[in-house]
Amino acid sequence: MKISKKIIDNLKKGGVDFYLSVPCKLLANMIDILENDKDVYYSAVPREEEGMGICAGAYLGNKFPCIMMQNTGIGNSVNAIVSLLQLYQMPVVFLISYRGTPGEPVGAQGGMAKITEDILQTLRIPMLHCSSDNDLEKISTFSKHAKVVESPVAILCDFNLMKDDT
Amino acid sequence: MNRFDLLNKIQNILKDNLVICNIGLPSQELYKINDQPNFFYMLGSMGLSSSIGLGLSLSQNKNVISIDGDGSVLMNMNTLATIGNRAPSNYTLLIIDNGSYGSTGDQRTFTDENTSLKDVAIGAGCKNVVECSGDETVNALNKAIDDKDNSYVIISKINSGNVKIDPIPINPITIRDRFRKFIGIVKYL
Repeated sequence: MKISKKIIDNLKKGGVDFYLSVPCKLLANMIDILENDKDVYYSAVPREEEGMGICAGAYLGNKFPCIMMQNTGIGNSVNAIVSLLQLYQMPVVFLISYRGTPGEPVGAQGGMAKITEDILQTLRIPMLHCSSDNDLEKISTFSKHAKVVESPVAILCDFNLMKDDT
Repeated sequence: MNRFDLLNKIQNILKDNLVICNIGLPSQELYKINDQPNFFYMLGSMGLSSSIGLGLSLSQNKNVISIDGDGSVLMNMNTLATIGNRAPSNYTLLIIDNGSYGSTGDQRTFTDENTSLKDVAIGAGCKNVVECSGDETVNALNKAIDDKDNSYVIISKINSGNVKIDPIPINPITIRDRFRKFIGIVKYL
């Protein structure tokens, strides 16, 4: 819970006040925290691409949105990212559980893990890769950066960082 | 009645509300009929009009009308489940259902065969689902906007067919900024 709490605290410190998630067991604690947080909006959403649309609308309505998802969700969302969030220059934070990184027990997750950073790089999305507790303090500044550059940004949280956060 | 006729008929309702308008011909036709700063024209991301409008209605108090199409909703059908569970009372989804992919050459969609978006919306949990003709759409929209306690999904059944029209000549950042300014957001950072 310590890691998850620190991530949410830093997102909130960065101004993020609107959260969606497509669930992942590595995000479960963060979802629990957000469901009980009266200061921010939180909802589940069935699919990541749809979530990108809801985030775009939230930004138009003056919220600072974040969508939490597995890295697989990036694959589901490429067109929405490029032809909506980037076309209109909308700041949105992607909080990504980085499945398929070392420690991952499910072999099939390895495929998307191999290309996740390549996709984000191709999309020119700024990345913050969190592999240890010390990286988490960078999340608030990095989130604010999304607003300054008017762009989606991606925070990748390694499997091993999240797996023992019970 | 086709989409252009319908948009003409409802333009006086639209101009007083925040409108998210579907990509392609719907946006181009609406732009031609009566361009307004409170109209957000989608230039990409087909399928997400209902979702953008939902996020907007959850984030501020003004009425929001998402103009969507049958082809677009078929592409993002999970949106009806999210609307059925989360839409606030200032949200109205207007699905202009002409049974065809108008912007790509009027190929038939499944709503022209076996699929009823009304039944899907009800099954997905949407509470106030109205299927009506093009002529009845003005009344349905007025009722949805006047009702301060409920969100609505209106499925307006019209004929397919498009008018010859040019692409929207304003850039995305202008569309974004004048829309946010209309809501009252002038400070971006």
